[in-house]
Amino acid sequence: MNSNYNYAFLDEGSKREIRRSVLKAVAIPGYQVPFGSRELPIGRGWGTGGIQLTLSLIGPADTLKVIDQGSDESVNAVNIKKFVGLCTDVETTNDTRKATLIQTRHRIPEIPLRNGQILVLQVPIPEPLRIVEPCEEATKKMHAEKDYAPMWLQLYESLVKYKKVTIPTEYPCMVEGRYMMNPSPIPKFDNPKLHRAECLYLFGAGREKKIYAIPPHTEVVSLAFDDIPFERESFAGKKCRLCGSENTYLDEIFDPQTGERFFQCSDTSYCQEVRRHVSE
Amino acid sequence: MTWQLTKKHNFDAVFDSQKLFRLLLEAISNPTRIVDIKEIADKLFGSYPELLAVAMTLLDNETGFSIYGSDSLSADIAALTLARREAVSAADFIFVCDKSGIQEAIEKAKYGTLAQPHKSATVVIQSDGAQAGSLTLSGPGIAGAVEIPVSQAVKDALACRAAQNYEYPQGIDLIFVSDKGELMAVPRLVKVVE
Repeated sequence: MNSNYNYAFLDEGSKREIRRSVLKAVAIPGYQVPFGSRELPIGRGWGTGGIQLTLSLIGPADTLKVIDQGSDESVNAVNIKKFVGLCTDVETTNDTRKATLIQTRHRIPEIPLRNGQILVLQVPIPEPLRIVEPCEEATKKMHAEKDYAPMWLQLYESLVKYKKVTIPTEYPCMVEGRYMMNPSPIPKFDNPKLHRAECLYLFGAGREKKIYAIPPHTEVVSLAFDDIPFERESFAGKKCRLCGSENTYLDEIFDPQTGERFFQCSDTSYCQEVRRHVSE
Repeated sequence: MTWQLTKKHNFDAVFDSQKLFRLLLEAISNPTRIVDIKEIADKLFGSYPELLAVAMTLLDNETGFSIYGSDSLSADIAALTLARREAVSAADFIFVCDKSGIQEAIEKAKYGTLAQPHKSATVVIQSDGAQAGSLTLSGPGIAGAVEIPVSQAVKDALACRAAQNYEYPQGIDLIFVSDKGELMAVPRLVKVVE
């Protein structure tokens, strides 16, 4: 551990402020609590919100897992894991079940998380209304008044123009029937995992300086019309080329040499686990 | 002449506050769950070590606090955390040392605005831990509705908070500690089911 810095890099005052914001965020599910986002040795937009949450939460008893687009081995995941390891000495793992704290970008693991586990999501744009209203003061007022009509109109226009809702990721949802929330850039496939989950979800946006949360057993409903239900991505007829799973979120990979397209699990640790089971 | 220096407490500002924060987070995410903070509170001193432990974890010079029922706790919190003493209606954290202060604390506590619901007070209440019946609670963090045994302080505080009829997202969050080191939290959305 690098002893030139405080444990978990941040100073205690910063951690306390983030911790107070986290408690408020859990008490008001889906509401974006502003916080004083700190400078970190990486640029804003590279997961600083998630990192600040992780650093404020982590302690010697934790086991950390970091994933980026489902992968434990991508550059972002490896570097964040190394950085947190350098300033805390906590154990790190690729195994979703072993981890107490999971920081992630763009995916929720395939294995359902249990109570006691915390999933920290990195968020680039926390404001779901930003696509219909550029002014922060105005969106704040819209949330205060629960005025979500422009967002519903956006969905309706999408239906009229393209005959389907065209939002692929960051699909907005309503939390406890009160707040419209951006679930971070997870695919629609993962949205249902937020609804009445066992684990705690924390969302951190470092550049936009917002923290929000979904506690366990909280109602999270993806936006849909009565006659046009919410639909996840469908991978019907496709399966992972490595483990053969047919019920996971699949990445499409293109081989320019052969022109071949194939699919494999985006959650690498799940894929490896399935293959281990098959070989045993 | 030799001077003997003794430490007033053994609460570790880094590791004990991290541990207590995680227990607090567990309690507020799972509102019917009671977490045990005795080991950490025992490292502090005074008549209300559990309240002091919560203050050490969450308060600093950026926060204001108010206290019902103990001048010495007020002095200790101010000295250890450098938090400001505030009027009850302006305090971010209100510590209530005995049942008699609950009603006034909750009635005067700031409850945020529709646009800024986070600018509301957290009321931390010392309860004697003696069971005085049970309540069924429901809301985010609770699977369905769960009946739990509660003390008179919990009953009084929840009844008093319900009587305020806050328009959600406005409201106040409650944390209860007992002298046995038990801690429970009831955030604003969690309600008593009749």
